[in-house]
Amino acid sequence: MKLERELDRPLWYLLPGGVLLAAVTLFPLAHVLWASLERRSVLHGPPRFVGLENYLRLAADERFWNALGNTVYFAAVSVALELLLGLAIALMLARAWRGRALFYGVILLPWAVPTAVSARMWEWMYDAEIGVLNYLAGAHVNWLGSPAWALNAAIAMDVWKSTPFVVLLLLAGLQGIPQDVYRAAAVDGASGWSVLARITLPLLAPVIMVALVFRTIDAFRVFDAIYVLTGGGPADSTETLSIYAYKALFQGLEFGYGSALAVSVFACVGLAALLYARLMREALR
Amino acid sequence: MSPPRLARCVSGCARALLLAWVAALLAACNAGPPAPGATVIVFKHGKLFGDPAPLRALLDEFERHHPGTVVREETLPAASDEQHQFYAINLQAKSPAFDVLAVDVIWVAEFAHAGWLRELTPQLPPHERAAFFPGPIEAVTYRGRVYAVPWFVDAGLLYYRRDLLEKHGFAVPRTWEELARTAQAVMAREPGIVGFVWQGKQYEGLVCNALEYVWSNGGEVMSGGRIALDSPRNRQALAFMADLVHRYGVTPASVTTATEEPSRHVFGQGRALFLRNWPYAWRLFQDPRSQVHGKVGVTMLPRFEGGVPAATLGGWQLAVNRSSRHPEAAAELVRYLTSAPAQRQLALAYGFQPARIAPYRDPELLAAQPFLATLERVFAEARPRPVTPYYVRVSQVLQSEFSAIVAGLKTPGAALAAAERKLREILADET
Repeated sequence: MKLERELDRPLWYLLPGGVLLAAVTLFPLAHVLWASLERRSVLHGPPRFVGLENYLRLAADERFWNALGNTVYFAAVSVALELLLGLAIALMLARAWRGRALFYGVILLPWAVPTAVSARMWEWMYDAEIGVLNYLAGAHVNWLGSPAWALNAAIAMDVWKSTPFVVLLLLAGLQGIPQDVYRAAAVDGASGWSVLARITLPLLAPVIMVALVFRTIDAFRVFDAIYVLTGGGPADSTETLSIYAYKALFQGLEFGYGSALAVSVFACVGLAALLYARLMREALR
Repeated sequence: MSPPRLARCVSGCARALLLAWVAALLAACNAGPPAPGATVIVFKHGKLFGDPAPLRALLDEFERHHPGTVVREETLPAASDEQHQFYAINLQAKSPAFDVLAVDVIWVAEFAHAGWLRELTPQLPPHERAAFFPGPIEAVTYRGRVYAVPWFVDAGLLYYRRDLLEKHGFAVPRTWEELARTAQAVMAREPGIVGFVWQGKQYEGLVCNALEYVWSNGGEVMSGGRIALDSPRNRQALAFMADLVHRYGVTPASVTTATEEPSRHVFGQGRALFLRNWPYAWRLFQDPRSQVHGKVGVTMLPRFEGGVPAATLGGWQLAVNRSSRHPEAAAELVRYLTSAPAQRQLALAYGFQPARIAPYRDPELLAAQPFLATLERVFAEARPRPVTPYYVRVSQVLQSEFSAIVAGLKTPGAALAAAERKLREILADET
């Protein structure tokens, strides 16, 4: 009897958090899922249940596939670059240096600036006529205005902005690796390269996974940076899923179809998270 | 900062915040519940005005003429998208929180179709419509009924550098071909000057720009309720728009990122010969500190050989919320604010362009703003964008395809065929 009550108690402790989570996460999620099964647009009178119609429309919608392609490209390239750069910077910073504190500050700065502000700043730097980038390069590149460059320009901004986050995580991970492993390697006469490949990277793997999960989810949902830089243009070449969903929901007022788009973002992010979780489990084993 | 100083600063900030809060509260009380039994009309509009006083004076006068009625103003952010979102959410929920609203020219059909606006045909019977420009009247009419009264109008204009044209002996271009040739010739003799700047970013402004080429070549988006986008005239007109960048080289390739303000800056810094923009730019070029002060001329947009000039219509209309608790008083306020004297007074105070024709012949107003004489001709020909409840979706398709034309990704033929197919899907899906 007493033991039972002891076991019951944790559930009660979890209740406030559980209720809060249900109210702010599960309920809106269920609502969007439900809306995605309805024909719900302000111009069509009361909402009507249509089953999977919105998803069938999605499958036949060129604009959706274009947005999905842009999103996957953006996420893959930006996360890969952020991880490589972040790892290099974290390894450099992990060495005991003088002036490390200063470097910390400088490197974290891009992460601290609100995205909308830094996107506006980059918009000016990218400007083809008066931008500082073309001035420095002595070239005349139409960074944000040519379909070939625009998405890559947005990726560069995202890398600048989000690498600090990866650095921060990896630094914490590096500090968690015991020093005696390194000392043992030094006694054995291991080269710098094999220390990195055999000790640092394997021991850092769980943290790298965490960084990957966070960055991939964020990159997949990218909205504000690109919306401010290009608004999705030129010719939809920078339109990501979130931007398409925003335009369908808040400009076109198509709540049903827009919800289906939002669910597709959620599904992609969920799949990526599952994949990473499996990888992480294997890495830990 | 030492701890005591920090603490002092924090408490100072807190005190300032408290003061601000009390002040806001007092202000709210001041504007708050009037005498019991009074009819309160809430007038919702975007941040259209600098100084609120002249509009308030008009509303005070309305209150004097209608004892027992109080008009309260509430402003929304200046961004048109945000206003659209606010209205859609609140009108959809049948909120009676506001009675009169200012609507953009492209929203009327959508709001009317959704059943959000009170019909105002009695306030604007057919014989009174001739007092307004025809474009705005077309925009506020949906299925033969009027749902809003035009208040202010806007339309695309051609700005040119008078000094440069005179220096090189060119006339102001009447046709698009003349504009391209003049721009090429002047660019060859004036290093550092670009020919023609306009708005080519993928957004609503691109649709406004592109339709001006289409219409001035005798083309249409819809004709007789059917999509008529993929036509030889439209292909020719939009091919010219792309040629400005890719063949004549008079428009820089960066036009694909340009909205109103960046293009105005290029021209305003004396770096362009021609500019397509709205009337607001004129006042800014008249500023003595402007680098092009006294060197700018303005006229109607050019046309194609055999076409007539056509400017895209913008501007604001006043409508009455269907869920308003005081529909009669609200309609009366709309009638009052859109009357000739009120429009004239607001034009004098704010430099906005009345939707009625009479103020353009008013000697006092013309003396204050000689620019209005040019505008009258432009507004008389200005055309609304397709009047359909699905305009936002239609526009998103046009933005994407027109952007592909300007960027040189698609030929006008391919883009127009794709756009026509997508628009047919939207209309088939919606009806």
